Amino acid sequence: MSMRVTDTSASLRSLANLQSTGSRLADLQAQMSSGNQITKPSDNPSGTVRALELRGDLKRNTQYNAAATDAIGWLSAADAAYSQVVNLTQNARTLVVKGLNNGASTGTSAGALADQIDAIRTSLISIANTAYNGRPVFGGTTTGAIAYDPAGNYVGDNGTVSRTVGDQNTVQINQNGPSIFGPPGNDLFARLATISTTLRTNPSALGPQLSALDTALSSISDAQAVEGATYQRVQIAQSTQQSTSTALQTQLSGIQDIDLADMAIKVSTANVTYQAALQTTASIRQMSLLNFLR
Amino acid sequence: MGSTFGGISNASTAMGVARYGLDVIQQNISNATTPGYTRQSAQQATVDSATGVPSIFTKPAGMGGVMISGTARMMDPVMTARARTEQARSAQADTTAGGLSNIENLFPEPSNTGLSEQLNDFWNAWGTVSSNPGAVAPRAVLLNKAATVASTLNAVSTSLSGLAASTTQSLTNDVTSANTAATQLATINGQIAIASATGASANALLDQRDALLTSLSTLVGGVATINVNGTADVLVGGQSLVAGVTTTPMSVGAGPVLSVGATAVALTGGSAAAEVTSLTTTIPNVQAQLDAVANRLSATVNSGQAAAFDLYGNPGAVMFSGTGAAGLTVAITDPKTIAAAATPGTTLDGTAALTMSGSGRQAGGPDSLYTTLVAGVGSASALAQQQQTTQDAVTSNVLQLQNSVSGVNTDEEVSNMLTYQHAYSAASRVLTTLDSMLDTLINHTGLVGQA
Repeated sequence: MSMRVTDTSASLRSLANLQSTGSRLADLQAQMSSGNQITKPSDNPSGTVRALELRGDLKRNTQYNAAATDAIGWLSAADAAYSQVVNLTQNARTLVVKGLNNGASTGTSAGALADQIDAIRTSLISIANTAYNGRPVFGGTTTGAIAYDPAGNYVGDNGTVSRTVGDQNTVQINQNGPSIFGPPGNDLFARLATISTTLRTNPSALGPQLSALDTALSSISDAQAVEGATYQRVQIAQSTQQSTSTALQTQLSGIQDIDLADMAIKVSTANVTYQAALQTTASIRQMSLLNFLR
Repeated sequence: MGSTFGGISNASTAMGVARYGLDVIQQNISNATTPGYTRQSAQQATVDSATGVPSIFTKPAGMGGVMISGTARMMDPVMTARARTEQARSAQADTTAGGLSNIENLFPEPSNTGLSEQLNDFWNAWGTVSSNPGAVAPRAVLLNKAATVASTLNAVSTSLSGLAASTTQSLTNDVTSANTAATQLATINGQIAIASATGASANALLDQRDALLTSLSTLVGGVATINVNGTADVLVGGQSLVAGVTTTPMSVGAGPVLSVGATAVALTGGSAAAEVTSLTTTIPNVQAQLDAVANRLSATVNSGQAAAFDLYGNPGAVMFSGTGAAGLTVAITDPKTIAAAATPGTTLDGTAALTMSGSGRQAGGPDSLYTTLVAGVGSASALAQQQQTTQDAVTSNVLQLQNSVSGVNTDEEVSNMLTYQHAYSAASRVLTTLDSMLDTLINHTGLVGQA
């Protein structure tokens, strides 16, 4: 026996069909208007977890990038300082050689050389106080504004300054004054002071100072090399960040974003289906035997 | 046909039956859209011979006309019972899915505004502080981010409590409605028993009975037993809610625990079953997980603070106070008391802040706990929606089958109407013919030869 169709069962069925078609259309429209495949966690629970992880990775990457940019700024300031320090120290060395060649004369020429050495020393102290963002780059983690006081004493500390520029990639970006200019009391500034005094008193005793100056120069060059390597490391990290960011965005988009063309076709199909269902329901429900009896 | 006038009474029974048939059709058409109405049908039977009539008039024995033997209620008891069961399951599935959807709405993920993103921002703010530990602005931003995270956790927790309160209200309403329906059913049971004993038609009462049974199924998963006399008994969780004219009211106790009379029961279906599960399991679980996120966040940050030193050189103060998602607050107001330095004394060391900024990817950290929470809620909601869709399809199918037996089809009623109309016309024609024959017999016989 075929199933008896009654007015209520027919309308129940039509209603159920209309509701399911309508809710499919509503879901598609929600995705379309938000631009997201996942509008709530239950749309795709595992996709939601992946999307949250990717978003976290992306945010961290942004932070790494900011840290790398800051590190580059710091390192650039230090780099400029190193170049000037090397130049000035070489100038000082030339002056010392000149003083040695002049022999034991302690006349005005030696005094002039000593004046120049003093000037170089003052400049070097000023360069050693090079600051980035208000902090002396060679002063460790000091809260003060300078690494060396005008007398050439180190007033910074031996703290390290680090930036995390990637997962498991924390870079120390600072070098402290003593590690560059030599231990306090026996550093470049103390030597230059000694040279200046020696020039004025006994230029012939300059010999040992020359080799000491050479040692200081090589120590500065070593520090500069370390700084250069760090700079390069941060740059590599930064370019890694860019490619990581692109990869993460692509993955996130694949999970989270809709395919617009695909979605547009789905919405329009669902729309047509819904209209057809409405139309059919409206016309079928109008008919009854009464229409044909006279 | 026996007696001279037998045909007249025979024709009149036919006309009477046709008129009764039309009455039933009128009732069916009037109630075509009445919820719970069961189609009725006039049951006819032939009258073999007019019993109790003197034999002289009944010989030779012959057809004695037609009579109404009853008015049937067109329903399939098995299908109706199954419809009740499926409706109870549907109500449970609908309520479960609705409840989970409400919970899910509290976690708008993935988005730029959800807690996940706020936590990311919070950890990143530590990174910014570590890059510039001496500046107050990044520290103030960090405090703001901390406050945002705390207030979101507070708000979600409050909403969750609100959901629990409204679910409790729904449960109370369901139980009150079930008790009302049970009382009405007991009254109707009494009326049905009387009607059944006196042989009166109880069809309308039976429709009301079925409507109440459906209510009890969808509310509390009541299981009905139909007795021979048409009365119905209802069990809830194995305990008798309605037995004949007696009801044992249900109540909601703390927990919530439902009881019938003094006996605690576990519901097997209906919206109340879903509400109990939601209140005893689902919402407390989500709340516990949310509290775990808050407590882990607080523990991670506070232990980091305690081991580090602030801008004044002192050990860091407690940043998050209070326990649970509802109680979490930011305890410090001075940005300089955020501990960023790993070494004591007044330094611009940012190592501790740098370490803290990496806590977001810590296994078992607050972020990972929160992600697990969101995934759990999402999966549960997706499963509930799937079950709801499946169950609704089954229920809708069963209801259609039930309705295909019990429902009114206007076309069918109209065509039956035509049949009765023609039967009435034909019976009238028989009467006219008999009248004409009797006229011939009475008025036109024995007149031969009269002038």
